[in-house]
Amino acid sequence: MINITYLIVQIIVVIAIAPLVNGIIKKIKALSQKRKGAPILQLYYDLYKLLKKDTVVSDTTSWIFKAAPYIVFTSSLVAAMLVPVTTMLDPIWLAGDLILMVYLLALGRFFMMLAGLDAASTFGGMGASREAMISSLIEPSILVSLITVGLTAGSTSSYQIMEYMKYVDTPLIRPVYFMAFIALFIVTIAETARIPVDDPSTHLELTMVHEAMLLEYSGRGLALMELGASIKQLTFITLLANIFIPHDQLILISGVGAVVLSVLIYVIKIVFISILIAVAEVSTVKLRLFSIPNIAALAFILSFIGFMQYFVLGR
Amino acid sequence: MSWLTPDYLMNWSIIAYLAAAIAAVIFYGRPHLCTLLAQSGCIIASVLGAASAFSMLLTGREKLIISQLETSIPFISIDLTLDALSAFFILILSILVCCVSIYSFGYIKHYHGKRNVSAFHILYIGFILSMFFVFSAGNAVFFFISWEIMTVISYFLVVFESEQDGNEKAGLIYIVMTHIGAAFLMIAFMIMFVFTRSFDIFGSSDAIPDFAKNLMFIFFLIGFGVKAGVVPVHIWLPYAHPAAPSNVSALMSGIMIKTAIYGLIRFVLCYLNIQDTWWGILILCIGILSAVLGVAYALMEHDIKRLLAFHSVENIGIILIGLGISFVAFAQNNGFLGSLALAASLLHTFNHTLFKGGLFLGAGSIQYAAHTRDIEKLGGLIKKMPVTAVLVLCFSLAISAIVPFNGFVSEWLTYQSLFTVIVPGQTGINIISILSIAALAMSGALAAACFVKLFGISFLGKARSEYALSANEVPASMNVGMGILAAFCLTIGIFPMFFLKLIDKVVFNISGIIVTGELQGGFLMAWYPVSVSGNSITPSAIFIASAIILICAAAVIRLIGGKASNRKYGTWDCGFGELTPRMQYTATGFTKPLRIVLRILYRPGRALKTEEGDSSYFPVSQKYSVWTEPVFEKYVYGPVLTNVKKFSLRVKLSVQTGSTHAYLVYIFITVLALMLYNRLT
Repeated sequence: MINITYLIVQIIVVIAIAPLVNGIIKKIKALSQKRKGAPILQLYYDLYKLLKKDTVVSDTTSWIFKAAPYIVFTSSLVAAMLVPVTTMLDPIWLAGDLILMVYLLALGRFFMMLAGLDAASTFGGMGASREAMISSLIEPSILVSLITVGLTAGSTSSYQIMEYMKYVDTPLIRPVYFMAFIALFIVTIAETARIPVDDPSTHLELTMVHEAMLLEYSGRGLALMELGASIKQLTFITLLANIFIPHDQLILISGVGAVVLSVLIYVIKIVFISILIAVAEVSTVKLRLFSIPNIAALAFILSFIGFMQYFVLGR
Repeated sequence: MSWLTPDYLMNWSIIAYLAAAIAAVIFYGRPHLCTLLAQSGCIIASVLGAASAFSMLLTGREKLIISQLETSIPFISIDLTLDALSAFFILILSILVCCVSIYSFGYIKHYHGKRNVSAFHILYIGFILSMFFVFSAGNAVFFFISWEIMTVISYFLVVFESEQDGNEKAGLIYIVMTHIGAAFLMIAFMIMFVFTRSFDIFGSSDAIPDFAKNLMFIFFLIGFGVKAGVVPVHIWLPYAHPAAPSNVSALMSGIMIKTAIYGLIRFVLCYLNIQDTWWGILILCIGILSAVLGVAYALMEHDIKRLLAFHSVENIGIILIGLGISFVAFAQNNGFLGSLALAASLLHTFNHTLFKGGLFLGAGSIQYAAHTRDIEKLGGLIKKMPVTAVLVLCFSLAISAIVPFNGFVSEWLTYQSLFTVIVPGQTGINIISILSIAALAMSGALAAACFVKLFGISFLGKARSEYALSANEVPASMNVGMGILAAFCLTIGIFPMFFLKLIDKVVFNISGIIVTGELQGGFLMAWYPVSVSGNSITPSAIFIASAIILICAAAVIRLIGGKASNRKYGTWDCGFGELTPRMQYTATGFTKPLRIVLRILYRPGRALKTEEGDSSYFPVSQKYSVWTEPVFEKYVYGPVLTNVKKFSLRVKLSVQTGSTHAYLVYIFITVLALMLYNRLT
């Protein structure tokens, strides 16, 4: 019973924090450009407003277009449930398998690409086509880096990995974890449609990928898509934060105080990673579409070298 | 209860197939009745066959001899023997045959009055029976005979619509390639006989020395590899599958290429035993190549059935990755891992039968309704054929290994086997395993891209041609046949344990190790998580959690936003006026980024042909074409073929001159040589 309670708490925490990350990154970008920028909570206002609005649906679309936002949202949220956020509970049913997480996210992506093609618009097709390319190139790096980390811990379950990482002394100074961290960081940037892979802030057909697929959406469909994307982003950030910067508050203690404390530490870590992402966004430029394979190759090579260092050349 | 025993059911199943074939002959002149009787006969026979195989698996008997009819020719006997492995393959054969036969009620209608339906049914039933015998053959000679009959009948089915362009060439490539494979198999069986003096499949291979075992392994690998369609001997698949009628392609891709997987397990794993780790590593390498190249070439195909044929190459690659790990582990005496990987590859074999069979049937439905297989000419079919669309979507998700479907479960098990095989310290196996993980990940993502293309371009958007506009939903029987397969895909995806228990019996029979632990009893076991040394997934829990979240999300949105008011409006056209179907993304356009990124595999080219009019500023017509090169055919098979032709020409001019005198000399020399040989030994 307590498991389910924590799971529900985790879902609420994730939904509540996810849009905040976007706000923080946008704010840092604005500050770096000497702008005041939108308030940190802007995405919350946007989502609320979108939910209230009427929707306009293209008359060429089918049920896929209407179902896609719900599927994208659900798959991201279930994927987020597989990654422990603040508590380390023994998972019975949702064992937190990372391979499962990756393929759950693939479900959302599949429907997002289909929704892009459904309206018979060129923008949607373009976004879907580019997303297909980026995801195919980035997928090997995700699994190789996650599995490398998993191998050192002897498990593919995120719970087990985080449990193990608590006893690793400063993981980031070890080559295998450092390489995996950088690889996963690049993956996070690619998966969450950020500069240098994609630009979340433009609607220019030359550059957009993720936004192009959402172009036909309005109202609650758009709100769900946006929220789903930010939950997916938070999931990747949580993985980075909780695997590579483990903290002892991820423990099984009861009481409201402990939960609040661990949520607080979690939020601090998330903000830290968000700052890293914002810095990466500010200090790079959007790449040409056909330079993205280079980034993907970089991520793959880093994760592969990490693996080689630990498992082939010896520790 | 004697009528429930596997052998009794099996005999009746064979009789039912034969009865169906006889009915097809008798009602030669009445195509409707002929179809009805032949296909219902197949359905009854396949249900009996499935029941027999299922009861064989449940009783857990080691070996069951169905019949051993000696003939007057030495070594040739009709020897039907079942063990758990054969029973498993007969089970998946029967399930697929049942669905395909239901589908055929509707599909065959478009042959009525145009073609010899009776001949089709006889070939169809003969094809099924020959596969049946391949799986249950008890000695190598009978196996080989069934194997050859299977090849020949499937050749006739490939060229059944022989008046269409390219089908005869497809048949020729198919039969030449498979016979090269069969030649290798024959040599391997001869080596087997030379050392053991027996063709018994279930016998012992102890008498065979190591070098001969290695040789036999290579020959089996080539022989079965050609049938399975692994890279680089895959070239027949993309020709033969599209040429055959769709229900036959479903059988060919769904189960016929699996006879090779059966052969590899039966002869290499069970008969030869694993000698060395390099056997497994070689299979792993082939698996990686097939998985990645198969899906990469599938991406560039716009003919639905060619695309699916290349996906068969990919999935055989995934099956071989599992099998390779299993061989490596058995060579290292790691029985548990070997059994786990074997279970993974068997489950993927089963899954691939289900979803690839279903996809070929779906392609058949599209062809039946729209009279074209070219994705570029389709579009908007989801509104014309809603049921077919949902079913094809299910199969597409399953083949892309996406979560609530069966493809994911077997790929997850393959990942877990790869995860378990990596141990710090060993070099070669670790590197090849991590590359396999990367290959699996990449092929999964590319498959998703490919099926987004297939489904998105042909079912979504607007109709791109008259073909797509005139399409209508197919007869119900076709959708029922596909629906059963889709239901299997979803059920295995959500409750995998029940099916894993069945596979466990097969694996136990081979290695003596139970992978999934003790049977927990009852139907509830389906709810248990799939668990491998502490790592586990529970698809049913994921499914329920998703359903709860979905309902909650809908409720919350309703609460905040109130009742939805949808306004229908045209797609955003940037204010330039009506969008036409020609402005949509095409399949060629959709895959362009990947075509450029992976250009080393495709060697793409393009050309713009302009026909100039009075002024060069006003061309009369312009034609833009894009193509990719068939790399293997051009750079591997092309040179080989040219050299073989050159060599044959030289032989013809110098040895086979056609002069009787020369032949007399040859005969004389041969006789002399034989006499000398006889004298000397």
